[in-house]
Amino acid sequence: MRRTLTLLRLAARGVLREARRSLLTAAAMALGLALLMFTRSLADGGHEDWINAGVRMGAGHVLFQAPGYRESRSLDDRLSGIQARAAIAALDALEGPLAPMATTIRLSTNGLASSASSALPVVIHGVNPETEASFSHAAERITEGRYLEQDDRLAAYVGQGVAERLGLSLGSRFVLTAQSTDGEIQGQLARVVGVFRTGLPEVDEGVVHIPIATARSWLGAADGATTVGAILPTSGVVPEVVRAVRSDVEGEDIRVLGWREAYPQLDAALRIDDYGDYVFLGILFAIVALAVLNTVLMAVLHRKREFGVLQALGLTPAETGLLVFTEGLMLTALAGVVGMIAGAALTWGFFRDGLDFSALMSEEMTFGGIVIDPVIVPKFRMVQVLQSFFSIAVVGITASIYPAYYATKIDVGEALKFE
Amino acid sequence: MGDRWIWWRLAWRNLCRNRRRTLITASALAFGYLASVTMIGLWGGMMTEMIETGTNLVSGQLQLHDPDYYPERSMYTTLGGRDGIDVDELLALVRDTPGIVAASPRVYGGGLISSGSETVAGMLVGVDPVHEVEVTRLLRTPVEGRAPRAGEREILIGRDMANVLDVGLGAEVVLVAPASDGSLGNDLYRVSGIFATGVAGLDGSFGILPIRSLQELMALPENRIHEVAAAVEDPWAAPALGDSLAMALAARGLDYSVLPRPWTVFRAELAEYASLAGAVNGIVVGIIFVMAVFGVANTMLLGTFERRREFAVVRALGTGPGSVALTVVYEGFILGIMALAAGALISVPVLYWLHNYPPDLSNMFGDFTMAGSVVRPVLRAEYSVDGPLISAVALLITSILSALYPAYRAVKVLPADALADI
Amino acid sequence: MDISLGDRTIRCLTISLVFLGCFLSPLPTHAQDPREIIDRVDRIMRGESSIARFTMDIRTENWDRSLTLRAWSLGTEHALIRIETPRKEAGTATLRAGQEVWNYLPRVDRTIKVPSSMMMGSWMGSHFTNDDLVKESRLVDDYEIEIAFEGERDGVEVWEFLLVPLPEAPVVWGKIRYEVRKADFMPIWARYYDESDEIMRTMTFSEFRLMGSRLVPTVMTMEPADKPGETTVVRYHELDFDVDLDEDYFSLRNLRRQR
Repeated sequence: MRRTLTLLRLAARGVLREARRSLLTAAAMALGLALLMFTRSLADGGHEDWINAGVRMGAGHVLFQAPGYRESRSLDDRLSGIQARAAIAALDALEGPLAPMATTIRLSTNGLASSASSALPVVIHGVNPETEASFSHAAERITEGRYLEQDDRLAAYVGQGVAERLGLSLGSRFVLTAQSTDGEIQGQLARVVGVFRTGLPEVDEGVVHIPIATARSWLGAADGATTVGAILPTSGVVPEVVRAVRSDVEGEDIRVLGWREAYPQLDAALRIDDYGDYVFLGILFAIVALAVLNTVLMAVLHRKREFGVLQALGLTPAETGLLVFTEGLMLTALAGVVGMIAGAALTWGFFRDGLDFSALMSEEMTFGGIVIDPVIVPKFRMVQVLQSFFSIAVVGITASIYPAYYATKIDVGEALKFE
Repeated sequence: MGDRWIWWRLAWRNLCRNRRRTLITASALAFGYLASVTMIGLWGGMMTEMIETGTNLVSGQLQLHDPDYYPERSMYTTLGGRDGIDVDELLALVRDTPGIVAASPRVYGGGLISSGSETVAGMLVGVDPVHEVEVTRLLRTPVEGRAPRAGEREILIGRDMANVLDVGLGAEVVLVAPASDGSLGNDLYRVSGIFATGVAGLDGSFGILPIRSLQELMALPENRIHEVAAAVEDPWAAPALGDSLAMALAARGLDYSVLPRPWTVFRAELAEYASLAGAVNGIVVGIIFVMAVFGVANTMLLGTFERRREFAVVRALGTGPGSVALTVVYEGFILGIMALAAGALISVPVLYWLHNYPPDLSNMFGDFTMAGSVVRPVLRAEYSVDGPLISAVALLITSILSALYPAYRAVKVLPADALADI
Repeated sequence: MDISLGDRTIRCLTISLVFLGCFLSPLPTHAQDPREIIDRVDRIMRGESSIARFTMDIRTENWDRSLTLRAWSLGTEHALIRIETPRKEAGTATLRAGQEVWNYLPRVDRTIKVPSSMMMGSWMGSHFTNDDLVKESRLVDDYEIEIAFEGERDGVEVWEFLLVPLPEAPVVWGKIRYEVRKADFMPIWARYYDESDEIMRTMTFSEFRLMGSRLVPTVMTMEPADKPGETTVVRYHELDFDVDLDEDYFSLRNLRRQR
């Protein structure tokens, strides 16, 4: 016990005595840790942003649909009023970190939009103006006019491409034509109240929003809906939410989908990006490990004489090794703390406003089918912080092994010789 | 002393004297260099892979059209307008351009594909089956059956379309398309194959048939095509190739003009992502060498401390502080050169290995489908000039920077104190 | 069918049928109420049957075409139109029965169902659309009708009707103007405007003759305003009303017949 304590004191003193050297070594690790934390939180934030953008272009993190809808995209495969209400109730029942931030209920169909000059096939979403305004990505990309409002009946919110192709401006009339639930081709008058631009041609040239009440009466769908969806606080809770709501709507013949299933392109794009990140991280680790190894080894080489003296005084070779190893551990711990603080500071510094990459990207970058915001807000997750810390700890420890081993091999006689 | 090489020699001798330390430090730097070059190479490889995958499915990396073709894509706006062109001549010219690997003609028409009582509106694409496979891979790997044969009335459709029409291999479908003379072109075709890319727009709405067959359906003569699609060796060269091709064609005195569209225009998001990745590269290199600075500085500080008596003696003999500092810096520089040499030597076989026999990480990550193809996570590196160059410069800067503080410390040694401290 | 939809949208046939129907019975001269006139015409068209043979000359930027066609119609729900010349297209026919539209292609001897999304596509390359065959005549339901002008123009006593869409009518036009001869209720022209009062297309009626013992305009010309020089001219050679047709006639089997 006494020897252990002595060892610890020796290690501590060793670290403190060569303050500058210790600092440099620790600094290398700390820097590595800080960078690791920052880049990972940035990457996580970036990914979370992508997912967020993607689900808001679609119908949320979790979707409720009639079983055949995803394949058929037909109005015939829609949720009845009862089913839609059950879905919404299931969403309302979620609490705390699972509770949705926004929900959507939609009646969607393919149809034709025609004006006095031209006609264009479009996807028509009948939406609830109030909830949709905070849900949909398109709703905030207004270029002219306004989004739909609660009392609107004939109002329509169209993509810029649609407006251009049909020669429409604010207030213009146009007609939507689609097949109603009883098979008849029905026309519906609409007037443009707002125009949007997402940057995605297939959306800007192909999407129209109208109030769901209007859509229902036009298409004869009573109080049905084709999709009910929700945006959750983070993508991490999706699996749990899916489980919870699935059991809630059990027996109602509703299909519940998570975002990965609903947007496979997005999922694929993210996984490819992840893969790139891992490659990067792998190399970062190797670098840090080497910097540490180099420094610690140098320190051991330099202190040969000191170790020689210690051994002459009774320290066993094994203990010498342990001494070096302990110093390494202390340095790692020190570096860990400093690194975490630095990493947290770095991340926090950008936490609010995000890191603006717009110098590197043009106005509208799209990837995996969504428009990417050049400002990436780092996402701070405790799990990831701990993971980073332990990774660096492992690095520090591993890097101390060889020098410790080397220290056990010191020949007392040789070491005590005059340099 | 007039010998200005003396400081270099001293620096070199110092390094040799502490062989182990020198070796360790140099190898750290060398590894940094290797890591940097490898990283850049791997990213380059990933980007190229992604670009190729994204463009060699249907679009090719470079397309040529009549200047008025986009955005309306009217069937009447063929290359050369109503009079058409000498298609073979244009194809030959394109294929002869260095950097272009293959080229193939296309005709497009919007039409209906019908079977029984199901009708689907789609995009009909007429291709030359022989040359098309050199440019894109859609024809190479149908899920069922095979690509259509020239001269036959056969069509390759997507799985989603086949499902809606409820047809399988060998089934008969009716193709209806407005013809260029105003009539309604129509004919019977056999489904020769079915493809499944996973891209909804393709699988549900595209039908591929032999180009001559589509031309006949649309009452277009053989010399009227809408597009030439080309595959290039280096995707990044596509825009420049397009421009030089257009100029070369103009210089040839052809009586029609051509508008080149490289993938950077029609798949701009890929270019964006790649340039973002390029920026990340810069950050990576920075990180790598910042870390290296620590290691090297530390080592050199030790060395400086050890040699304080040596410096003291030298100073006592009259050497100016500047020269002492210079020696230390030279040491750093030589260290850098050594590291560079070692790093360069190692990196060549490593890059070669990663380029030609890249490790396949499918076991760890699984495959993913993106834009209609299976992307295998393969660690493949691209050769580049930039990578090694930037890394080399960074390496040398690092080694010099790392030496600066130790050099400063060396100068601060007071001869008398150092000598007294035996 | 022009899959690049809708450039040639016009309810030409419908309009022409409306006006053709004006002459099924003599109108009392005191019927000056525009709604009554149009409404009466509309009502008369319901249940009306007809057989016609006509030529269609289409001129576009890229080609010129001339077709002769034969058409059978019953009310607004059933129609069958078949091409007689040119020979290589003879037998090509379109059937509208209820909400469904079918095309028969003699060259390959196949029938295809035209999806509802194709409704706005142009029919046979003309400035008519499939939708013209499908859409019921709803002028009275969709428009407010008033007399904008009554008097003499070019030596002829005419009415000019102004049709303005009712508030919720699903029609794309901002307004429509018709000029009609007072004496015999012959239409002279119809102009379609968008909501900013820009004229989009013009239909002109001429060569009024007796057909099936009625006075009808035998030539109708349609000109889109955004494509100068392009026209579709319909010329009736034979026209019979009140013929013996019932719904069974409008069958897929008849669609495939060559005569």
